[in-house]
Amino acid sequence: MGRPVLKLWKLLMVSVLLLVVAGCWDSVELNKRAIVSGVSIDKGPSEEKKYRVSFQVVIADEITGKNSRGNAPVALYKGSGRSIYEALGNASRQSARILSLGHAKVIIISEELAREGIRDLMDIFERESEMRLSTLVFVSRGQRAEDILSVMTIFGKIPANDLVQKLETGNRSFGYNFRIEVDDVIRGILAKEAGAIINGVIVKGDPEAGESKANLEGIKPKAILKNAGLAVFKQDKLMAFQDGIEGMGLSLIHNKQSEYPLFLDFGNNESASFSMFKVHTSVKANAKDPEHPDIYINVQQQAALKAYNGALDISKSSVLRNWEKLLSDETRKEIDAAVKVAMRLNSDYIRFNESVERNNPKGYKRVKDRWESIFPHCKVHIRVNTLVRHTEMRTRSLRSSEEME
Amino acid sequence: MRDIRIGPVHFFSLVLMFELGTALVVNVGMEAGRDAWIAIFLGCLVGMLIYTGYNYLFKLYPDLPLSGYARAILGKPLGAVVVTLYAVIFLNGAGRDMRDGSALLVMAALNRTPIMIVAAMMILSCGYVLHKGLEVLARTSFIIMIFVLMIGGVITLLMLFSGEMEWSRILPMLGDGIKPVALSVIRSNYMFPFGEVFCFLMLMPYIGDKKRAVWIVPSAILAAGLIISYTALVNITVLGSDMVERSPFPLLSTVSKAALSDFIQRLDVLVVMLLIIGVFFKVAVYYGAAVIAISDLFNLPYRTLIIPSAIIILFSGMLDSRSFVEHLEEGGEMLTFVYPVFTIVIPAILIIVAAFRNYRSRSRPG
Repeated sequence: MGRPVLKLWKLLMVSVLLLVVAGCWDSVELNKRAIVSGVSIDKGPSEEKKYRVSFQVVIADEITGKNSRGNAPVALYKGSGRSIYEALGNASRQSARILSLGHAKVIIISEELAREGIRDLMDIFERESEMRLSTLVFVSRGQRAEDILSVMTIFGKIPANDLVQKLETGNRSFGYNFRIEVDDVIRGILAKEAGAIINGVIVKGDPEAGESKANLEGIKPKAILKNAGLAVFKQDKLMAFQDGIEGMGLSLIHNKQSEYPLFLDFGNNESASFSMFKVHTSVKANAKDPEHPDIYINVQQQAALKAYNGALDISKSSVLRNWEKLLSDETRKEIDAAVKVAMRLNSDYIRFNESVERNNPKGYKRVKDRWESIFPHCKVHIRVNTLVRHTEMRTRSLRSSEEME
Repeated sequence: MRDIRIGPVHFFSLVLMFELGTALVVNVGMEAGRDAWIAIFLGCLVGMLIYTGYNYLFKLYPDLPLSGYARAILGKPLGAVVVTLYAVIFLNGAGRDMRDGSALLVMAALNRTPIMIVAAMMILSCGYVLHKGLEVLARTSFIIMIFVLMIGGVITLLMLFSGEMEWSRILPMLGDGIKPVALSVIRSNYMFPFGEVFCFLMLMPYIGDKKRAVWIVPSAILAAGLIISYTALVNITVLGSDMVERSPFPLLSTVSKAALSDFIQRLDVLVVMLLIIGVFFKVAVYYGAAVIAISDLFNLPYRTLIIPSAIIILFSGMLDSRSFVEHLEEGGEMLTFVYPVFTIVIPAILIIVAAFRNYRSRSRPG
């Protein structure tokens, strides 16, 4: 008797459950979302507007091309507030879609703000569940951070991606900038008596001209994004930018450089250029006496001859041996320069303290609180081992052939 | 219920999945800082030690669950009180784990979804499996174990290839001595998740192969210990101990770092799946233990108890605290003060009394 009623009841239950299955409570459709590709943070004019935050939003229609109106592929929304989140709220109010931070590739902090301290900025990027820790962090060197996000770029339509690619390409061959992500920065800020390292970035050329499509119309772009130096911090405050050999040395100490160029000047208008590759650095400490630790920096590297204009007969191995020595000296100079700067700034962003702790944990505990007074007096021993495997496609140089005739 | 027989492999997988449970994704043993992985492994050994005690009881009463032999050892009235307490703690455990899981899920992924809905879905699925029976739960655990191990393999490979692991972050090993590690083990680490194996006091009689049964649970505990310890190791090498310490859900952050250039990324969803799977088994085992205890104690049919228990678990889990922070605070206290009573004190009393009786009854005729 009661069977059909039961069946109906079951059917009803199942259909109610179906409703739940289909629904995704938190879903936001793609056409309601604005994908943020980069975030920049500038210092605001007043306490009420402490941070000026810009969000680079990808305009999907312009990227795919079908419904493209031929306008800029990204747009910048700006908002300011007492915190980054408040600024996000203020910026969101101008946007027709929800700003979603999940795909942000870069965070750019202005130098002005970085000099005052970035500790309070980083929390949101770590806490927010949408954001990834693998977002890259930059410091805009002497320029407004928002200018970095408003340059039309040559390769790829999204400027933030361009910046990421430049960093990776640069690191692979010539540059000393390397990937520095949110968690690297946070670890740097947290480390005792140490500091973070963040890549510097600038707009080379005219920032105003960079933001319109005219930037791409000529062969010579009017503005180009460029990695510029490594910003070194003491705790969370920016101290200096490291360029040139200091920057290279810094990158070498952190074992982040897999390839870099070296130049040997023999005087007499003779010189040789090398590409160093298979570079590997290890930092060890001998801290039997934690008050006066010895730091050993070991570098292994190979060199490839790229250009040579000199009269030496390089089919002789003794010549190469000598070069290896000279190259090692050059590398040592770069590392030494980086160490000297760190000691002068008295910020252990080269992480000698970690090596000391690894070597003598108990001893380090005793000196941990006054590491600041010990660090500048660490004895640093740099050992470089260079190997020139071959001289590439030619033996003697043009010049030596001339002289032989 | 007596004719349930669970094969050794399935039982192994059930214990393993239970132990991995939420412990795989939340931060365990981080009081020990970068030595957390050692603390976890030590906790696992302590868990195995505790289990040898349970084995003694199991050998004495191979066909009875805890609710049966508690009454046989302590006598009917006192035994009934103990079993009631156990039923309550099982229900509480299920409720707590469900809250843990749904709160993490809401925190990490389903930000705007009401936590009640998430929890209700979970308890519904657990109830459904238990309605089908314990064998079904065990078989499900086997299938899902393979899946979980595959996820683990994928994450491991990705971590290795993405080069995010920095082994120097776990050095120096035991830099502050063994003391903080030991403290962390004593405070809560042996209990969560390894001591929680006391649920299986209720399920042990259902193992099909009684002879090999002695080895199944300890080997599962060991396997779980190694896996959780390894996970902690990965977390620390990728994020550094400080960041792991500050995050309630470190594996998610760890995996968010993994990427093979732009091609493979955003594998966070795998971790969320691990969380859901883990919570499912944790809740289901506690829930099953509670239902068996109640049905054994009051002589009620097993299936009629499923829905009432589900409602108790759902509401006790949801109403026990206002926020996740409060919930964790309470959980910490439970782990230090309440759970040891059920995992160590009461079983120890049972063992002592049973051994004493055994000795007397054996010596009397002689």
